[in-house]
Amino acid sequence: MNGRTLILNAYVYAVLVFILVPILIILPMAFSETEYLVFPPKGFTFDWFGRFFSDRLWMQALQFSFQIAVATAIASTVIGTMASYALVRGAGALGSLFQALLIGPIVVPHVALAVALYLFFERVGLSGTLAGYIIAHTVLALPFVVFTVSAALLSVDPALEDAAMSCGATRFQAFRLVTLPLILPNVVSAALFGFIISFDEPVVTFFLAGIRDKTLPRMMFDDIEQNLTPIIPAIAVLLTGISVLILIGAAALRKAAENRTMPRFDEMK
Amino acid sequence: MLAMGEVGGPHIKAGGAPVEIRGLSKQFGSVRAVDSVSINVAAGEFIALLGPSGSGKSTVLMSIAGFELPNSGQILIGGRDCTRLPPHKRNIGMVFQHYTLFPHLSVLDNVAFPLKMRGIAKDERRRRAARALEVVRLGGYGERMPKQLSGGQQQRVALARAIVYEPQLLLMDEPLSALDKNLREEMQLEIKRLHSELGITIIFVTHDQSEALTMADRVAILQSGRVAQISGARDLYERPTSLFAAGFIGEMNMIEASWNGTEVTFAKNFSMALPSSAVIDDVAAGPVMLTVRPERVEVMPEGTPGTASARVDDVVYAGAGTLVIASMACGGTIRARKGSADLSAIREGDRVGIRFPADAVLIYPRQA
Amino acid sequence: MQKISASSAPDLAVHPQPVRFFEASGRKLSQAAIVFLMLPFFALIFVAFLYPLLSLLLISVQEPEPGITNYVRIFENPIYATVLLRTLRLALLVSILSLMLALPVALLMARSRGPKLAFITACILLPFWSSVLVRTAAWSVLLQRNGLINQGLQAVGIIDAPVKLLYTQGAVIVAMSHVLMPFMVLPIYGALRNIPVELGRAAAICGAGPNRSFWEVTLPLAMPGIVAGFILVFLSSLGYFITPALLGSPQEMTISTLISQQLREFLDWPFAAALVGVLSLLVTAITLAFSRVFRFDRMMGAHE
Repeated sequence: MNGRTLILNAYVYAVLVFILVPILIILPMAFSETEYLVFPPKGFTFDWFGRFFSDRLWMQALQFSFQIAVATAIASTVIGTMASYALVRGAGALGSLFQALLIGPIVVPHVALAVALYLFFERVGLSGTLAGYIIAHTVLALPFVVFTVSAALLSVDPALEDAAMSCGATRFQAFRLVTLPLILPNVVSAALFGFIISFDEPVVTFFLAGIRDKTLPRMMFDDIEQNLTPIIPAIAVLLTGISVLILIGAAALRKAAENRTMPRFDEMK
Repeated sequence: MLAMGEVGGPHIKAGGAPVEIRGLSKQFGSVRAVDSVSINVAAGEFIALLGPSGSGKSTVLMSIAGFELPNSGQILIGGRDCTRLPPHKRNIGMVFQHYTLFPHLSVLDNVAFPLKMRGIAKDERRRRAARALEVVRLGGYGERMPKQLSGGQQQRVALARAIVYEPQLLLMDEPLSALDKNLREEMQLEIKRLHSELGITIIFVTHDQSEALTMADRVAILQSGRVAQISGARDLYERPTSLFAAGFIGEMNMIEASWNGTEVTFAKNFSMALPSSAVIDDVAAGPVMLTVRPERVEVMPEGTPGTASARVDDVVYAGAGTLVIASMACGGTIRARKGSADLSAIREGDRVGIRFPADAVLIYPRQA
Repeated sequence: MQKISASSAPDLAVHPQPVRFFEASGRKLSQAAIVFLMLPFFALIFVAFLYPLLSLLLISVQEPEPGITNYVRIFENPIYATVLLRTLRLALLVSILSLMLALPVALLMARSRGPKLAFITACILLPFWSSVLVRTAAWSVLLQRNGLINQGLQAVGIIDAPVKLLYTQGAVIVAMSHVLMPFMVLPIYGALRNIPVELGRAAAICGAGPNRSFWEVTLPLAMPGIVAGFILVFLSSLGYFITPALLGSPQEMTISTLISQQLREFLDWPFAAALVGVLSLLVTAITLAFSRVFRFDRMMGAHE
């Protein structure tokens, strides 16, 4: 390793420390006995987990956010997969419009969308409702779902569907029996994306939230703004645990997928 | 339609359906990919569609399969108008260029797929799929995944999948182009064997002329969306009906000449009389194109009576055969292929006499 | 020109048949199927994205009276003009800091293989898996008066007494870069990874040292990725809300916190709408100007 490479490596690992430290130091603070967040944490207690699970408001928020996230994951995956399929199978002019609109939710600031949706939902009576949050979060999640699913669709040889149809399958059967199983790992990741985007979405929920129906991110926002208690790291520990489980599940899925998908050109020597 | 074979042998008897293509045209934007193509395929016939890329051969095949909708024309399979029928209702077997096995299904499930689509019960499905695998000599490979097989084996599986439900028509879209040379020859024999065993009608697209000539009963040559010629291998090689077909199949010497109704003149006043069979269609007296296969050209010592004199430009030794390239007085170049053993020592720069047997020469109208 | 001698087909009266709306054109989907498959998407985007934004913009020019008074107010009042400039400056600084952090990471990723690449990638993607709010909370702990950073700076002797870090622009810039920097790494890495290894060797054969090779070959070829990442981070910073709201100083508002204030404290809908209008126009203009850059695959680093 020459000097140049050494410097590059050192710099990059410093950057990685910068990235990891805030994510990692938060976790031990969940066990702090203090009423406010300090690092290093003082003492050791599971109190904050207890408080989180016994507090009616936090539990309501958790349940509410979970409902929204599950519905968002399903809605965005179904809508996104349908559209991706049409896009990849030649949507023509409609496809160009689709792609242009798709980047909208990514580049338009969430604040702008949040305010616009707040106004719109107030008028149509959706503000603070489950449906309102689901609609808003589905809009935010769609681009990521479409990207994930269409990437997988593009890697599936369209001739496979032709082959299925020549075997007597209808277009829908060809999709369900051949294409869908092949893109399933990505469809599942897309749904996960949808779930996480919704579950962790602070801005739109901040503006849409009513007094009573608060989402988990909204409760966390208020806590950080007002008290900064160790309940935040306690939640972080729980979320990290769930994330780790999901990552392990995803890895297993990937492994299963590797056994299925055939690299088309590897075989051709 | 289905007659089980004798006890023991893994027989599938499909029989063939006649295919009638009438005035098929397909336009892609401003490009006429297929231009009123009409082909009649007899029941049980093996026909090859041969042509350079862009000749429309794949589009014709895809229209028969139902993956392209023609702009006009009709396709009848077994007497039934299938022109606008979706692919899954046509009851056609098809083998694709890149195997296109379903990567998430086992070999047996791949082969059983068409039966599943036809609502056949699971046990029956497995039994018939296993039998089809035996027909392509892959019995016992059913539990493997496609990617565990070699390219040739995968293509056999694709073949089994295409014939498992005993379709009366089998379409093949350059099925051997992804295989290397040895495998290709093996598969050619395999497909011919299946054809004679099953009696199925086969329409086979290829850009490889030797493949077309060796495998098919008849070959249809396509050129810019039109059929240039349909005939058996021998006719195609020995009596091409057009200058395009003459040039497309095999090697061909083409010499500008003039024709007076009985004699053809080339190479500065060298004339020879031709039988009427040498004239393709009606050739008016005047400028014509004379064609002769290189292996029919005779190379003699200079001055032999009845020969046109020429100068040897190059002698290319290639083992069994030798290629002699010579230029004639008129400036035209002649290629002659001779067995190396039959050829006396000829060297570059030598002068020789060139002769064409009268039955080896065909003349065509010269193109504008 | 060629005579078709083999076909004996009679001249049938074949009428050209146009492809009908509900008919699948062979292997392609029918128009009806495409419309059906895309309808939910378009319906959602029109109802829950385009319509709300446009009607908000309409309010900004209709209330309290028709005209552009709201917009005039933004640009004439020095307070608001300052907010606008501050936001632009903040976004620029965050983008530059992110680039400085991201470029070397992407370079090393492009040069690494196996477990090392997997490790760096995992570190870069980890933030996607952790809550923005949790990370913001972490920063506010780190930046406290007696937080880890103040302690560290005192320990090394750079400062004598704890300084104010929290609720400053510096805090906002650092914390936002922390959140947005992965979005910069991915497109740059994608661009770098697409540069063939042979090009570096070719440059070396041509006599370019590692430095020249980097500046003359690698960097220009990585430029589309760098621009994509930069623009993406810049756009995200412009409207970023959480970090300025929680870590920023109330005296130094950004356009997004100003929108929140106008809306939630003063209930001044039309003015908030005008601020959204300015922000949206800015973002749209930048997006259109760099529309070539906004290829989805490129933004995501061309791999899933």
